Amino acid sequence: MSVFICGRRQHFVRVNIAGMNSSDGQPLLQVRDLQKLFPIRKGFWRRTVGYVRAVDGVSFDIYEGETLGLVGESGCGKTTTARCILRAIEPTRGQILFRTESSESADMLQLSPSELRGLRREMQMIFQDPFTSLNPRMTLLDIVGEPLLVHGMKNRREREARVAELLRLVGLRSEYMRRFPHAFSGGERQRIGIARALALHPRLVIADEPVSALDVSVQAQILNLLYDLQAALRLTYLFVAHDLSVVKHISNRVAVMYVGRMAELATTDDLFTSPKHPYTAALLSAVPEPDPRLRSQRIVLQGEVANPAAPPSGCYFHPRCAHAVEICRTETPSWQEVAPGHLVSCHRAHELQLSGVEQLNSTIINEARRDLPVPDTFGA
Amino acid sequence: MLVSQKPLLSVRNLKTYFPQDEGTVKAVDGASFDLYQGRTLGIVGESGCGKSITARSILRIIDRPGRIVEGEILFRRRKTLDGVGTDEVIDLTKLDPNGQDMRAIRGAEIALVFQEPMSSFSPVHTIGEQIIEAIRLHQHMSRRQARQKAIEMLRLVGIPLPEQRVDQLSNQLSGGLRQRAMIAMALSCHPTLLIADEPTTALDVTTQAQILDLMRQLQREYGMAIMLITHDLGVIAEMTDTVVVMYLGRVVEQASVDEIFYNPKHPYTQALLRSIPRIHSNSRERLASISGAVPHPYNRPSGCPFHPRCVAFMPGLCDQKEPQLQAMGEQHLVSCFLY
Repeated sequence: MSVFICGRRQHFVRVNIAGMNSSDGQPLLQVRDLQKLFPIRKGFWRRTVGYVRAVDGVSFDIYEGETLGLVGESGCGKTTTARCILRAIEPTRGQILFRTESSESADMLQLSPSELRGLRREMQMIFQDPFTSLNPRMTLLDIVGEPLLVHGMKNRREREARVAELLRLVGLRSEYMRRFPHAFSGGERQRIGIARALALHPRLVIADEPVSALDVSVQAQILNLLYDLQAALRLTYLFVAHDLSVVKHISNRVAVMYVGRMAELATTDDLFTSPKHPYTAALLSAVPEPDPRLRSQRIVLQGEVANPAAPPSGCYFHPRCAHAVEICRTETPSWQEVAPGHLVSCHRAHELQLSGVEQLNSTIINEARRDLPVPDTFGA
Repeated sequence: MLVSQKPLLSVRNLKTYFPQDEGTVKAVDGASFDLYQGRTLGIVGESGCGKSITARSILRIIDRPGRIVEGEILFRRRKTLDGVGTDEVIDLTKLDPNGQDMRAIRGAEIALVFQEPMSSFSPVHTIGEQIIEAIRLHQHMSRRQARQKAIEMLRLVGIPLPEQRVDQLSNQLSGGLRQRAMIAMALSCHPTLLIADEPTTALDVTTQAQILDLMRQLQREYGMAIMLITHDLGVIAEMTDTVVVMYLGRVVEQASVDEIFYNPKHPYTQALLRSIPRIHSNSRERLASISGAVPHPYNRPSGCPFHPRCVAFMPGLCDQKEPQLQAMGEQHLVSCFLY
């Protein structure tokens, strides 16, 4: 079995490298006009009186081997989007096209349950909270081995060998296999969750806030692990997070969501240095930089995130936007490409001069910290 | 820092232990620092470093079986009853936690903003009732006056339509508004010291920016001292004047915010600063991480608590003896055998 899997992997790597060389290659995942409405029911008859527009017309592509960061504030629909892709929750409408290994494009929403189960091997999820996402009554062997069992690896010895291999892959000792999750720290538990996600050789890994519950010193370990695994296994990540510094560290491209809609999508450097959407600019300036000499003039947004059950007219961001004009109040901005690969939904994207994060500062910081110990010595 | 000014709060060798069946958890094991009026002291550290227990020790609200076994918490009180401002210094560790003196200080002179705005309000009382209760506990006011005061405080912290919000339950408020209401309640008795325990951890970045702005503005207006407890070095850099870095119940380094970020001495502080992702750095870069994880409090390492994870570990020294805080230049204290 493992030989077969190895063979599959090599074949897959070859396909991947070919795909990576041509940047205009087909995307691995295409999300088109995804919508998820949660009904609000009231009264004795539980009549539907309205909808929470959790995800409202979201479109993006994920290319093979890349990391797409999905950021936004709580309630913006980023987790719902991630779960819709896996069909962990059923989207209201839209298309989720996944390119299978035979280069066919399968619409996740049209698949029968058995076809879906087959495809789910290829996309796995890493959860936010390592304390609640692992069953406390199962050993590591059971937790990491369960997906193998479900997908047909019935031989216990084979399964043990594969679990041991996976645990070593994520930096845990294989002897720990028979222990229970409570014996591990938060960072180690997150490694277990990663091992479980990788058990079936997925091609797409959806990581929903994988480091936000971890201590700062451990967060870096897990980010590095995800980074190394991606390089070693040619994984594609959809990285959902609210922390922009974390997203910057791991992503090739970043998508920003606001109240169920896409605000902006661009390569990481473009998005951080020259944001085109006022919301992105405000988000960037709100991040407190760990440097007391850079106490910045922040854009402090007024008001609150719009209610997705009763969103404002036009552009959902207009009540908090410093640049809003009349058209923003009345018309929904279209999702337009303002520069190659840089998509924005803002009426004024072409005229606004927004400031992002200055890359320049990084050299200043490095200058100032030159005499500190070499970072390599801190390797995990 | 004004050295001539006398500290408002002076914590000296504080030790708070939790005796358990499995052994004693030394949650705080010899913490010392000073707080000055109008200044912000940051306490930074990872989970289990004892930062919240330090705050709770100051307020004397440690859950059983924890207790302060050693140390002093000297609090400078203003006595303006006779019209002339004379100061008295009292040791909070000597007071009965449920006694009259402590109850008069807690909430009125030292106020606490909790981490979780979701769970720190009562769900069955309106925001107003809870603030009015706090006000009337410490100030002689009629209900009507206290209600006016509560509305005024809610307006001060930037809650829109305070006249309506005052009669709402906490679950009718968003996270940001709840944290504002929490701050309004904490400030309603004009404390001289505000302890904020992870005040923005549960909030989104844009809301966090609003709350931090608000705290700074209120500090300018009222001149209170703020003790800001957080694990977020970004918030520390943005807000504080002096920083205390804690690890497993001990202060490993203490210095001005600029010194901590630009001239860190302790290997833990240095490693921590290297391991945080920065928005200004290049994308797709490997981070320098600290190996291992924070040890479980029962298995506290011997000697320096950081030695199993330290790059500068010196066998025979760091694992045998406990380093003491020592001065490294002006206002810079480090507890490490390297110096």
